[in-house]
Amino acid sequence: MSATSDGSGRKNWTVELRKRAVAALPPEKLLPDGQPAYMSSWIYVFGVLSLASLVVLILSGSILALKGPTWWHVTGIGHFFNSMHLWSVELFFFFMVIHLWGKYWMAAWRGGRKRTWITGAVTFLVAIPCALTGYVSQQNFDSQWISTQAKDAMNAVGIGAFFNLLDFGQMYSWHIFLLPMAVVALVAAHVLLVRKHGIVPPFILDGHEQVLAAAASDGAEAAEAADAADAPDGQPEPATEAPAPPTGEPEPTG
Amino acid sequence: MAAVFNLNHPPHIAHWHFIYLSVPNIIVIVVMLVAFALAILLPFPKHKVDRSPS
Repeated sequence: MSATSDGSGRKNWTVELRKRAVAALPPEKLLPDGQPAYMSSWIYVFGVLSLASLVVLILSGSILALKGPTWWHVTGIGHFFNSMHLWSVELFFFFMVIHLWGKYWMAAWRGGRKRTWITGAVTFLVAIPCALTGYVSQQNFDSQWISTQAKDAMNAVGIGAFFNLLDFGQMYSWHIFLLPMAVVALVAAHVLLVRKHGIVPPFILDGHEQVLAAAASDGAEAAEAADAADAPDGQPEPATEAPAPPTGEPEPTG
Repeated sequence: MAAVFNLNHPPHIAHWHFIYLSVPNIIVIVVMLVAFALAILLPFPKHKVDRSPS
């Protein structure tokens, strides 16, 4: 990538970066005021539920990190935030798995959305060791039991020397910094890619193409136009997967 | 709650060939499957879009 002029003849990488960012994600696309009507289904809710769980997870975890193990073990408010952290991670995985199932069965990688799918799948894989390192960082008998059992698994796959589950300091660093940073970065990339390529349209049943095409929504058309312009792998939506929703009107996102 | 759910014992395990799952994990998996089915089957609440100029 070469730096380009900002109009004054000088080379300026920040201007080039800004131009590319705005071209890829103009404000109306980054923060839209409507979505295709086919998004009016409960199955489309689980992505944002995962995101909400992650926010609670990070906030409760930040408080636990500030206060320390003695606080979360012996005080009432510490127990409360400890439980909030536990249940938010339970819900995070609960919602994320249903989100994964929904996107898998609707082949959400269609229409140039491969990177969206891949970042989501990798987020799921990275979140697993993030949770594991949390379970072994509890500083109680439960964490000791889990770490000694899981150590065998790490040794079995040959990474026991680098990823020592019995080392609290190492696990705590992985849990509160390295892995959460990776998860947040991946989720951010995932959400931006969803904004860039739009929500994947559902499969269309045979015989419903004309009905759906006649009821094409503004939001869906915009998403498809963006796909056609942005799809790097040259895979536009098949004709039988028309973006048109059954009800036509775009739904406001609030 | 502690009286209703006594957790002071090892969990019950379902063991069938290579499948080895605790009952609590089976319950969570079943609830996820039910939530997935309901998310597909239940109608999403609709509301009218106000397109009048403000």
